[in-house]
Amino acid sequence: MAATFFGEVVKTPCRAGTEDEEEEEEGRRETPEDREVRRQLARKREVRLLRRQTKTSLDVSLLEKYPCSKFIIAIGNNAVAFLSSFVMSSGVWEEVGCAKLWNEWCRTTDTTHLSPAEAFCVFYHLKSNPSVLLCQCSCYVAEDQQFQWLEKVFGSCPKKSMQVTVLTCRHVTDYKTSEPTSSLRTPFLKALKTQSFRESPCCSLLEQPNIVHDLPAAVLGYCQVWKIPAVLYLCYTDVMKLDLITVEAFKPVLSSRSLKGLVKNIPQSTEILKKLMTTNEIQSNIYT
Amino acid sequence: MASRYDRAITVFSPDGHLFQVEYAQEAVKKGSTAVGIRGTDIVVLGVEKKSVAKLQDERTVRKICALDDHVCMAFAGLTADARVVINRARVECQSHKLTVEDPVTVEYITRFIATLKQKYTQSNGRRPFGISALIVGFDDDGIPRLYQTDPSGTYHAWKANAIGRSAKTVREFLEKNYTEDAIANDNEAIKLAIRALLEVVQSGGKNIELAIIRRNQPLKMFSAKEIELQVNEIEKEKEEAEKKKSKKTA
Repeated sequence: MAATFFGEVVKTPCRAGTEDEEEEEEGRRETPEDREVRRQLARKREVRLLRRQTKTSLDVSLLEKYPCSKFIIAIGNNAVAFLSSFVMSSGVWEEVGCAKLWNEWCRTTDTTHLSPAEAFCVFYHLKSNPSVLLCQCSCYVAEDQQFQWLEKVFGSCPKKSMQVTVLTCRHVTDYKTSEPTSSLRTPFLKALKTQSFRESPCCSLLEQPNIVHDLPAAVLGYCQVWKIPAVLYLCYTDVMKLDLITVEAFKPVLSSRSLKGLVKNIPQSTEILKKLMTTNEIQSNIYT
Repeated sequence: MASRYDRAITVFSPDGHLFQVEYAQEAVKKGSTAVGIRGTDIVVLGVEKKSVAKLQDERTVRKICALDDHVCMAFAGLTADARVVINRARVECQSHKLTVEDPVTVEYITRFIATLKQKYTQSNGRRPFGISALIVGFDDDGIPRLYQTDPSGTYHAWKANAIGRSAKTVREFLEKNYTEDAIANDNEAIKLAIRALLEVVQSGGKNIELAIIRRNQPLKMFSAKEIELQVNEIEKEKEEAEKKKSKKTA
């Protein structure tokens, strides 16, 4: 027992750990209400993978239902805008599923016309070649949801015959280098690959001590463990919102094996991208 | 390490950084690009116009402001901070004219703005101004001037410079293309400013605003039509240059 400055008497924790253990355990024991709250929270944070038209949950993982040889994942609005204008505009893509999730930072929307400004996670395959799968993910997947997302998308026993390409952005202030940041020419591309990825990436590799975060890191880690060839193209930019120059920084990736052949008309894609920018400009008067 | 030394402006980090000032420079990069060119008989300011909301009055969204009849500035960064700095500078211009009966020199008003900004990097409880400014004008001696200030309170004279988003790309373009020929006459200097902006501006001439000051003349803002004319000329020149190139290679 100890007295505080204000005259209250409070119970101080005993560092020996032997006193009053039973009492403490009672306090720690979960009440039914706690369990119910925890259950409800887990249900709310569940990642659900839904089938396209019926909007029912998929019984198996996405890649079990739609096996593929190429899986391209865009995470973040700039990467999504890049795939939308350069890859998706050059072919006919069919939606095969979507992931619905909720966390404190985002709630995936239900609208049919998805703009890069909204939060969503949709999967497509190329109609003319269904072994090419694409994921547009512009919602934040929290740490506790990443494993669920991987399980529901990749499954517990993924095929090693596919190649995974991940595109994402990060703010340049996260980039650790001995050069002064003012001398860096942003935006710039860096690559990180798994051991089984044999091709040479389209840009220089990410140097130590830089690390990758969030869903892209989870995907790469998963691919490394399961020996799936995967490469992450990370664009360091000083503009995290939807920006033409940041999106165009991904262009070198078009020469990679996974994206070659998927892009037909680059000038037309650039026009589509410009239109996407103008329709999605968020009006903010803070900066001029 | 940064998180322990960026809470108060008046604290240096162990390696000598003033993080709030550096963060203010990041805020500047969130503003759209502005470019300034010092010609022989003209100074040019070009800015990337932000797209205006449908119901917003376009006249009230301005990046180029006159400080006096012979000095004007363009800024990049926090709009509200710019408004405060511009108001103070305008008052100072008039106060100076009334006191010494002479208009301010471009260097004087730049130094005033820079000193104001520096004060805010050394005051308790205040944050720095999150703007960089390009100040242009002609002094009484008829010499054109271009100065740039940044949130730390430094100011320097430049022949040509850019601030805001993608400033680095524009500055590199200017380093390659700012030649004596490029500023040989007024029209060439104007074209150089537009060409520099077109490197980074989305959707071309529609999103560019331009202002010039000629010796002994007041500030002139270009209309959308005039800018379009210039952009068309530039595109024609580009096409001709490309045709010549392809002929040479053939």
